[in-house]
Amino acid sequence: MTDLSPKDVIAMGKAVGLEIKEPDLSEVTEVLNAIIEAVDEINPPGLENVEPLPIILPPVGKEE
Amino acid sequence: MNKGDLPFLSISELSYYIYKKDVSPVEVVEAHLDRIDKLDSKLHAFITVCREDALKAARKAEEDISRGIYKGPIHGIPLGAKDQWWAKGVLTTCGSTILNNFVPNEDATVIDKLKEAGGILLGKTNMTEFAMGYTQHYPYGTPRNPWNLDHMPGGSSAGSGSAPAAFLCPAALGEDTAGSIRGPASYCGIVGLRPSVGRVSRYGLIGSSYSMDVIGPLARTVKDTALVLEAIAGHDPKDKYTWKAPVPTYSSMLDGNINGQRIGIITDMMDAPSLEPEVRAAVRTAATVLEEIGAKVSEVSFPFISNAGSIASPIYMVEGAANQWDNLTKRPDEYERNMRLTYFTSALIPAQTYYKAQRLRELFRVGFLKLFEKYDAILYPTQPTPAMKIIETGGFGTKDSVLADLRGRRAFGNAANLVGSPSLSVPCGFSKSMLPIGMQLIGKPMEEETILKIGHAYEKATEWHTMRPNL
Repeated sequence: MTDLSPKDVIAMGKAVGLEIKEPDLSEVTEVLNAIIEAVDEINPPGLENVEPLPIILPPVGKEE
Repeated sequence: MNKGDLPFLSISELSYYIYKKDVSPVEVVEAHLDRIDKLDSKLHAFITVCREDALKAARKAEEDISRGIYKGPIHGIPLGAKDQWWAKGVLTTCGSTILNNFVPNEDATVIDKLKEAGGILLGKTNMTEFAMGYTQHYPYGTPRNPWNLDHMPGGSSAGSGSAPAAFLCPAALGEDTAGSIRGPASYCGIVGLRPSVGRVSRYGLIGSSYSMDVIGPLARTVKDTALVLEAIAGHDPKDKYTWKAPVPTYSSMLDGNINGQRIGIITDMMDAPSLEPEVRAAVRTAATVLEEIGAKVSEVSFPFISNAGSIASPIYMVEGAANQWDNLTKRPDEYERNMRLTYFTSALIPAQTYYKAQRLRELFRVGFLKLFEKYDAILYPTQPTPAMKIIETGGFGTKDSVLADLRGRRAFGNAANLVGSPSLSVPCGFSKSMLPIGMQLIGKPMEEETILKIGHAYEKATEWHTMRPNL
């Protein structure tokens, strides 16, 4: 995946109502590209069939 | 007993003397307040000290106990609490100037439960802003490590780590999203427990990440940690994520017997390039001690663990930014710069990155839980290094340095929170420069007693918990 440019980051910020300017802009771009790449490179087999389970809910109607 | 000696006693010892009426809760609170007066101007462990309220509560505890109303081992004990949740009538800042006037009119459930058990809120402890990221400029004073004031106590529960370590209070409550209890415990040479998700109510918590935040105790001994957990754990109708499972009397289960307990030491973490050799050596030696006292320690590989930081970070970052959305869009300049950078980044993480991380989380969780088919507990270092120096420059550097952090340091703190497991950090040594080192024991969800038993047995066999910083 191609890295996002500072211009891309400005546009993404604008889309959610955030005005991101220098000196923050360069660093936000660096960190954002790192986060995206870190997740992008993890590709275990069968991932596409996994359903996310963000939090384990307590069993309903049980005391334990 | 000399009043000046009281702060050096554990909760177990203090409660014994309080129960016998040899010591008054008023004397205990006064002794800790004296120590705060003497030392906190350099440690900045507390944002707010509840001096008058604590003394008032101590007088009430003294009166109750003298009338034969004794509530248990926490009765009359002064405790710190991270400034991340409500305490009725007490300034609650979450480490931010944005909340510098926020005084809740209700207690969070953990504060309510502590008071119910007779505990006394001594003060609200310092923390990184909104419990996220690496704060550089702390608005309420830079928290410092009692073992070396040039080093950080860890975060985000910074003051909840340094205050018990400096004997300003016997124990404190912290909150752990991605290592924020265990990290400060390791850096400050004390015990810290991240309970299972669902074990402790989060009602009244100013949340960082809804799917990972957990409130838990930090104390100087495993038994004290267990005593505080007993007081705060349990189902809360105000928090739908808490379980109705009974709360064991953890402290009564700490018999020192860990014969046959199966402990898996994760080789992928022990061989991690980011792990400092003296931390590796300390944890290896700790594993040997555990074997000598009856545990069966064997090596296990779980290579996926090296992805823990990369998987967890986008999840808690997105959730954290969502919690802050109103402030972030309306008053971004009021955040400390590192925090603003973190939230700006968090706000822009693409939905597909977040969703993929959630899928990876489930794979991680299922894979990690399989380890418990062969092991009762998992062991590796809490942090790859001893406490780092206090940050002198802001920002996060380049993409490569952030990637190195995600693949390296962040892997250590992020397994238990991906799984929902309890995790205990126990002191297991010191670096050559006399900074504490901690080991991390991870247990099955809702089985805190297993790791507390192992940690306690190890503590009994070693003397790390008896060492004191020279302040």
